[in-house]
Amino acid sequence: MYRALVLSVLATGIVFLGLTLVIVVGKAWREAREARGRAVRRELEPRVLAYAHGTEPSLMAVLGRPIRRAERRVLERIFLDHVQRVEGIERERLARALDELGYVEEYVAGVGSPRWWRRAECAERLGLAGASRATGVLIRALDDEVSEVRLRAAKALGAVGGRAAVRPLLRALNEPNRWSTIRIGDILAGMGSPVVAELLDAFPDLSLHAKVAALDILGRVRSLEAVGWLRARLGDREPDIRARAAHALGQIGDLEAGADLVEALGDREWPVRAMAAKALGKLRCRQAVPRLAELLRDRQWWVRANAAEALRLMPPAGIEALERALADPDAYARHQACLMLEEAGVLEQRISALAGPDGPAREAAVELVRRFVAAGQTGRLRELAERHQAAEVRSALAALLPPDPAEARP
Amino acid sequence: MAGKTILVAEDDRVTLRFVSSLLEDQGYAVLPAEDGRRAHELALTQRPDLIVTDLLMPYEDGFEFIRRVRAEPALARTPILILSTKSREEDIVLGLEEGADDYMVKPFRAREFLVRVRKLLERRRGAA
Repeated sequence: MYRALVLSVLATGIVFLGLTLVIVVGKAWREAREARGRAVRRELEPRVLAYAHGTEPSLMAVLGRPIRRAERRVLERIFLDHVQRVEGIERERLARALDELGYVEEYVAGVGSPRWWRRAECAERLGLAGASRATGVLIRALDDEVSEVRLRAAKALGAVGGRAAVRPLLRALNEPNRWSTIRIGDILAGMGSPVVAELLDAFPDLSLHAKVAALDILGRVRSLEAVGWLRARLGDREPDIRARAAHALGQIGDLEAGADLVEALGDREWPVRAMAAKALGKLRCRQAVPRLAELLRDRQWWVRANAAEALRLMPPAGIEALERALADPDAYARHQACLMLEEAGVLEQRISALAGPDGPAREAAVELVRRFVAAGQTGRLRELAERHQAAEVRSALAALLPPDPAEARP
Repeated sequence: MAGKTILVAEDDRVTLRFVSSLLEDQGYAVLPAEDGRRAHELALTQRPDLIVTDLLMPYEDGFEFIRRVRAEPALARTPILILSTKSREEDIVLGLEEGADDYMVKPFRAREFLVRVRKLLERRRGAA
């Protein structure tokens, strides 16, 4: 019994000792490897950067010696760290060196790995390396069974760029059950103007869902070459297309589209009218002021709100139109006008005249306050009646405002 | 312009090494700082000819660092270039309003960065 106990204690001790040894040796080996890696990095990084900043055609000449197998991972890390932090010539040179050293070839092979994380990692690195010759491999990876691999391949295609990369990404827009439209839209928009020609070409074959996303991309890319095409889309039979085309024209900001957008303010579908109003505000299209003022009476809230916001952005004509709307028989128009005049700071600016010597300005301020009161918009006025810096303004406002119903309640 | 001293405040070591090597290649002397507090100390003691700063840094962010630099009479005219991943219009406007002279968004083009650095140093020399 005693002997069995001693043996079991001894066995446990040996196991613990063995485990401790494994941990200590493992840690020491890891630390030694990391220290070696840091030393290699300290030696190689300045050479890599000298190559990136310089004009030497080949990295090998700058490195000055062949790279040992154990150093390849450290060198790769240096390249990957820097290539994603710069653009322009430096980035091109670093990407070219990655190819020259055989890393791109490794990544291309890695996209075919049986391990999905290796495929995803290699796809991502091909994007960082800007490896345009890997476009075909990345396009094939868009059909990978693992969504993470597909997404990284899509991002890599966006980073590699070029017309060949655009079409497969547009096809991905057509499959909302497999792809996040927002992510693909972000990738395509990030590719900039090279997507425009392909996108316009592919547009007729896209689903309605993809067409709407494509119009958003055109707006985000702010492509002037697409303006004429987008103006034509304002006459599309699909209301969603007309609305998104109007939105895109607003994002691009070309005043050439002003007349077409004013016409779209009369569209029978309210989303189109709302988007056209918003776009005209972004364009600061002053010719649209009379029609936008009419839309303050639209039966849809979004249209009224966007028209009022657009008028706010176009002083002085837009502000004058909002002030006229304070006397409008339509209560909705008066309400929107009040909100925007408050937001534009016009209310605060005008009521300062309540304390001034200018008779007509004071009368105009009194009239403005009365119109706000008649429209039931007294919240901001009550705040100013309490906190305005000029005592005369506070007392004049207190005299003009009706009793606060909230205070009258028991 | 070679021989001028440039303070680089950047908490990302890879970017700090890249920017430092880029400037040193052009003959500038670089004072590296990995946080806003250290950058402020170096600015006060070393009086650099130009400051390149990130916005997101530990202890003292770029905005605070710029405010404190501008509050020092001896540094009030030192050109400041912000180099940040923050690309929103509000951040750029705020950075310039706080007292920076120029703003670049990361990832950046090295050659464009060097031209901006040179122009800022020339402008300072012209104003001196």
